[in-house]
Formats: sequence, structure tokens, C-alpha cells
Amino acid sequence: MTPEIPNSASAVESVQTPPKTSILNFEFRGDGMEYFKIWIVNILLTIVTLGIYSAWAKVRNNRYFYSNLYLDDANFRYLADPITILKGRIIAIIALVAYYVASIFAPVIAVIIAIVLLFAIPYFINQSVAFTNRMSAYKNIQFRFKGSYGEAFMVIYIWPLIGVLTMGILYPLAILKANEYFVRNSSYGTTKFDFKATYKDYGMIFLTMLGIAFAIGIPMAILTYLIPALSMISPVVLFAVYFGLFVYFMVSMTNVFYASLSLVEHKFDAKLTVTGQTKVILINLFFTIITLGLYLPAAKVRMTKYICSCITMHAQGSLETFTAAEKENISALGEEFGQVFDFA
Amino acid sequence: MLIDGIYLDGKTSKRHNARLEVINDHKLTRIHLTEQQQSLSFEFNQCNIESRLGNTPREIAFTDAQLFITDNNDDIDTFSHWQSSEKKDNKSFLYRLENNIPLISVFTIATIILLYSAIVYGIPSAAKMIAHNAPNFTSDKFFSSLDILDTTVFEPSELSSIKQQEIRALAAPYLAQHPDLQAKLEFRSGMQANALALPNGVIVFTDDFVKLAQSNEQLLAVLFHELGHLKHKHMTQRVLQDAMITLMVVFITGDVETFDLITGLPTLILDMAHSRGFELEADNYALQQLNQHNIPLQNFATIMQNLENYYHENDDENSSKLTDYLSTHPTTEQRVKLVEQFKTQP
Repeated sequence: MTPEIPNSASAVESVQTPPKTSILNFEFRGDGMEYFKIWIVNILLTIVTLGIYSAWAKVRNNRYFYSNLYLDDANFRYLADPITILKGRIIAIIALVAYYVASIFAPVIAVIIAIVLLFAIPYFINQSVAFTNRMSAYKNIQFRFKGSYGEAFMVIYIWPLIGVLTMGILYPLAILKANEYFVRNSSYGTTKFDFKATYKDYGMIFLTMLGIAFAIGIPMAILTYLIPALSMISPVVLFAVYFGLFVYFMVSMTNVFYASLSLVEHKFDAKLTVTGQTKVILINLFFTIITLGLYLPAAKVRMTKYICSCITMHAQGSLETFTAAEKENISALGEEFGQVFDFA
Repeated sequence: MLIDGIYLDGKTSKRHNARLEVINDHKLTRIHLTEQQQSLSFEFNQCNIESRLGNTPREIAFTDAQLFITDNNDDIDTFSHWQSSEKKDNKSFLYRLENNIPLISVFTIATIILLYSAIVYGIPSAAKMIAHNAPNFTSDKFFSSLDILDTTVFEPSELSSIKQQEIRALAAPYLAQHPDLQAKLEFRSGMQANALALPNGVIVFTDDFVKLAQSNEQLLAVLFHELGHLKHKHMTQRVLQDAMITLMVVFITGDVETFDLITGLPTLILDMAHSRGFELEADNYALQQLNQHNIPLQNFATIMQNLENYYHENDDENSSKLTDYLSTHPTTEQRVKLVEQFKTQP
């Protein structure tokens, strides 16, 4: 808007001296007990207002998690206005009720709505991501997302379909394409993110999982066949393997994602480990069960703390030269549709 | 008053050390940029103070996305109080609520009680009310689930048409007594011994079940049980309950992501508990009907016992104990007891 402010490209080039690499840690400074208090007030007010307060609750929740996330000693911010979210929720609920009523009285209309919705989903997902990005800020610069319907349609329907039709061989590629789409269309202010991963990066995760499953599953099956008494413990072993593979999948997906992510010359890195993640999940599960769910907010804090502590940014020079994007308005409706129909 | 913090101009990510000053009888706010030796002035109505939240840094937004950030929450509260001296100060109302320990304890207990009663009483009664008042819920248009089951689980019945005809004739007068339920009897195979009532009024007997029943009275006992499900619109209630519980959890946790393994578990258990309630309600209805038509109640107990024996033969010992414990149906023991209780009633 103002001419004297350099745009991002020239700002990047203006760094003449060889930029020194500094490793910046992501850090979550939230506290389980503090968040519990916010969480319980949210729940009670949501119940007594019959759900209306849930929009404010969401903003307060998100603000707590964004504001406590630090990088380079500066925190992120969540900017959404509860009223916008409430409007979106009301529209989504009206649409949902209308759909149910239609499905009772005029099933044909319901089928038509369902088909229309199927085609509308990529649009809503774009809207939802755009809203979330726009409502996120770091150092007073908002994030942005500008997707296209066609590409969204490809990564939501076509690529996963190709993945299934090729018996899963191309499924890693579907995940890669989806991440690529969402990252490359996101920007921090006017500066675009980039995502560089290969089929091999994702393929190896699936291959490792298959390998472990067979390496344990087949000997286990043979042993159980030979020694029937083992059938008592084999379900336990299989569950442990299943759980381990699940954690491995989560951890390696996150690690590959951050290793492939970059913001101009700044790189990212994530070093989550299966043991670290398993420890967090087991502790959370144990306390959540014995407190009948009251530990849930503290569990969320612990999980966030762990994940953030494993992620680093390899910054080249200063992070102070990013510029804000033009002002734009996006409705909360897309995001709220995403939430109600569970595809966000 | 002077508050130290960081100033950002809204155009770049550059952070400037700054000091916020409130002057001129609290009417004017001035931000001094320490390094630039420069200051900016703002009217009171040009700034928007973020509400206080935990220990997070406080932001004051000025026009054109300019921002002042500070950790000095208490001073900002005072500042905020001046700003809204005429209006009610609600900037830190929630913060005070969230930091009142006795109140939080009361809130925790209140929330547990409220959630418990909502799930155990509120949602089931709401579902019951909606199910019984919504028109056309059981019309043929809604759920043509028999078609779906036919293509997935069921196979055509192998019972002779004479046998089928006999049972239909047996059931017809009783079904005719409840024209509102639009009940219809169908026979299928492809499943173990079972009888089920679909929401559109179709009652299905499987071949194995028909073979298991030793008398017409036993068949009628189960027919009444399924009619009870239809009468109380249990299937519709269940769909509504599930939807409401999911919606509630989504609203409380704020997102669907939290609705994972940990949170998903209680709804599953509740679902099973409710389902036992439905079965008992249908049992009661069956016993009433048997009584009304002077059919010995013992038939109900016998067929339930037969079904249990049948399932025990098909399952191995260990797994059946576990399934009993987690079953969606009441145990046969409970059901036989129910018959005994019913018999002693006047």
C-alpha cells in the first residue's frame, strides 16, 4: 500500500551479506492447570448458554494455544471474532437440520443436496483453510491461503482414488500432493511457503510399516499355530504392534512434513521420536482415564509441548523483513461447514 | 503511566522496543519508539485492548493493524479500566472467573453433574420426545434399510412357503391390532438366529430363529418384543441420541479432532447402556402383550433361554463371557427375572 515499504522479493534480495544460520526452537509455554481453568469455564458456559458460547470458547481455546506458541521469542496470535464463528455455526446447523428434514420428506432432494455437497466440499475446504490462515498471525503478519477449486478437487478426490485403485502403491503420492497443495498455496504475509518432498520420503514410511507388520505378524501367526497356548497373549502383542505402527506413522508424517517445508531461504526440521511420542500418549491416556476426562486439557498441553519442542526453524538471517499481505475478507462459513461435516 | 513492550507497524514483521504512555487525563495514548527516538499518538477510541487470557502476552491493536504487545498484564488492566470507565469493564471478567479457585471447583463439579445428567437423562428424553412427535419418521421413504441389508447380509429365506404362510397367518391378527406401526413380517437367512425390527415397520425373522422356536407362542413372544421396539421407536431414538451426543462433544471440545479414541469411548459405552434400556422396554412390552392375549409368560423366558444356549454352542467359552459383559442386550438371567417379577404383579 505504501510505496516506501519494500515487497518481499526485494526485501529478501536486500540481504547482501551472507546470512548467518540460526537455529530457532518452537516453544509452547502453556500450562496444564492454567488451561484446565479456561477449559472448564468454557464448557460450563457452553452448556448453560445451550451451545451459543461455544464460539467464544473456541476463540479463547485457540488464543491460548496460539499465544503460548513462541518462535524467536515472539508469540503467534489467533485473531478470529467469535461473532463471525457463531454466524457460521448457526448457518451450518440450519443447513444440517434442513438436510435431515429433506431426507425425511423428500429423499430425492436429499440425494441432490448430497451430490451438490460432494462437489462443494473442495470449495469449503479452501474457504476453511483460508479463514484459519488469515486468523493466524506471527509478529503481526497474517498468514494467507489462496487455493484453486480444481487443484483442491484433485487432492481431495482424484489422487486418493488413484491411490486406492493402484492398491495403495500411489497412496503416498496422494498424501504428498495434498501437503504440497496446502503448503504451496499458503503464505506468511506476502511470502510463499514451499514444500519439497519426494515419493520416496512418503513411500518409505508405508514400506517400513508393512515390513514391521510382516516381520512380527508372520512369526507370531506360526508360533500361535504351533503353540496354541500363545493365543492368549497374541492379541495383546498384535495390539501393541498396531499401536506402535500408529505412533510411528504420526511421528514420521510430522517429521517428513517439516523437513520438506520451507519459507524462502528458511528451513524447518522436526525430530519427533516414537519413544517420546509413545511416552506422552501413554501418560495422557492413563491420567485421562483415571480422572474420567478431566485431565484432557492438560493432556492437550503436554502433547503440544512435546511436538513443539521437537520442531526447529533454520533461519537464514533476520526474520524481521516479512511484509503483510493486502487486507481481505473471508467468511467463517467455510470453516464452520468444515467443522460440522467433519472434513476440516 | 508507562508500560514497556514491543511495537509492530502492521506492515512488516520488524519488532521495535517501545514504551506506551497514557497522558492528558487518560484521553490520549502515546507510543515511544525507544530506538528511533520517535513517538506516535492515538486517541482512546482508536485502540482495542485484547481481553486477558492466562499468562499470555497482552495485545493492544491500533488503527492500520499497528500493534503494541506487553507482558505487563496488570498495568494494561488499569489502562483498560480507564478506557472503559463509563462502560462496564468486561475485558478481564472471564480472566477473573478463570482464576477464582473456589469458583473453578464449583464449576468443575457443576459441569460433571450437568454433563452426566445431559447424557443420562436429557438427551435420551429429548430423543424420545422428538421420535414420538416427529411426523412420518417411520414412513417407508425413511430408511429403506431392508434393501441395504438384503444386498449385504441377508439371503432369501429357505423356509418352505407353507411354513412362512403359517407364521404370517399366526402373526396377522396381532399385527392388525397396531395399524399405526405398519408392521410387516419378513423371512431371511444368512444370519444367525435373530429377530430384528427396522424403523419402517419391517420385522425380520431369520430361518435359524424360526427353527429354534419350539412353539407358536414362543414366536409370538419375540414378535411382541420386536413390536415393542417399533412402538417405542427405538431405532429412531438411537439415531437421534447418537447425533446429539456427537454434536454436544463437538461443541464442548470445539473441534472434531479431539473427538478421538479417548473421547469416543464413553459414547460407545453409553450407547450400549441405552441399548440395554431399550431392550428391557421392549421386553416389558412383550410381556404385557402376552398377558393381554393370555399366552403364558414362560414362553418368553424359554425362547430367551434357547437363544442363549444357541449362542453358547456357537461361541467358545471365553469370548462369550466377555460379550455377555459388554453386550447390547440384557443378560438372559435379567430377562428371566423380569418374567418372574411380571408374573407376581397383579
